[in-house]
Amino acid sequence: MSITEYRLAGVALAGALATAFASGAGAQLLTHKDLSVATATEIATTAIATCKQQGYSVSAHVLGREGQVVVAIRNPAAGFATFENSMKKAYTARATRAPSGKFAEQVKGNPNAAQFFLANYVAAQGALPIMVGNDVIGAIGISGAPGGDKDEACAKAGIDKVAAQLR
Amino acid sequence: MKKIAYLAGAAAAIAFAGTADAQLVNTKDLSVDMAVTIATTAVQTCKAQGYNVSAHVLGRAGEVLVAMRGDDTGPQTFENSMKKAWTARAQRAPSLNFANAVKQNPTVGAIHLSNMVPAQGGLPIMIGMDAIGAVGVSGAPGGDKDEACAKAGIDKVAAMLK
Repeated sequence: MSITEYRLAGVALAGALATAFASGAGAQLLTHKDLSVATATEIATTAIATCKQQGYSVSAHVLGREGQVVVAIRNPAAGFATFENSMKKAYTARATRAPSGKFAEQVKGNPNAAQFFLANYVAAQGALPIMVGNDVIGAIGISGAPGGDKDEACAKAGIDKVAAQLR
Repeated sequence: MKKIAYLAGAAAAIAFAGTADAQLVNTKDLSVDMAVTIATTAVQTCKAQGYNVSAHVLGRAGEVLVAMRGDDTGPQTFENSMKKAWTARAQRAPSLNFANAVKQNPTVGAIHLSNMVPAQGGLPIMIGMDAIGAVGVSGAPGGDKDEACAKAGIDKVAAMLK
């Protein structure tokens, strides 16, 4: 085949593939639900207020479906690392579609787990995915309480507050 | 000669230690509750007017206290609200002032900093003459509308800003 023939063959193949994709049953827009800023804010502020009632100052992040920040709240009464940590816990929960504490368990004794080479994974309890049925639409991460279990309890309180909206 | 230099250094050190400036700086800062109130009020005020906006409340050092991504807003509004707030905090003035300054002088030095933006919609949060932070809003059709929502946020906590 000459170069021209190769090119023509390539174009024909690409055209055939495009047609195949376009006519596949999967070729339609995705439909899904996402957090509103109002819902995300309610989750975050409820979590912070819950921890405060228990005597803990915490920072919080609520991330959306793509890991993007929907609401971030730094608590000046908490240590400055809590802001970053709450984001990374939430990212971990969103990425793994599971509590960040579960990831922490899984990588115990494995400091070179592949995930640690990504920027935002953290092996720490305190974040939960936000689910609509089996769909993970985001995550909330909390940091600042004396113990990841306490962070997670506040995160859960935040999600519970809006449970009726998560459908 | 060397000894004299040492002595001069010691004398300078004593002079600094003994001046009236050598004391801790006493400042007031935003609490998390106030910062959240400012941001949510700004977002809700714009929403009530039909505009989806993102908002940032920054603290004294330009650090993020609250960041909110508005519903159905373009990704630029999140960044822009931060930068408007940063600009207002940096200059202790509405970000509109910087927008006007850049109109006069497009190569003004501050334009080269990462977080300065010549756009209306950011306001400093003041206690008297002290800028303790700033709020930035982006997403409304016009910086004046963004700024009005930012102002509503600050007004909501005005009684506590003293």
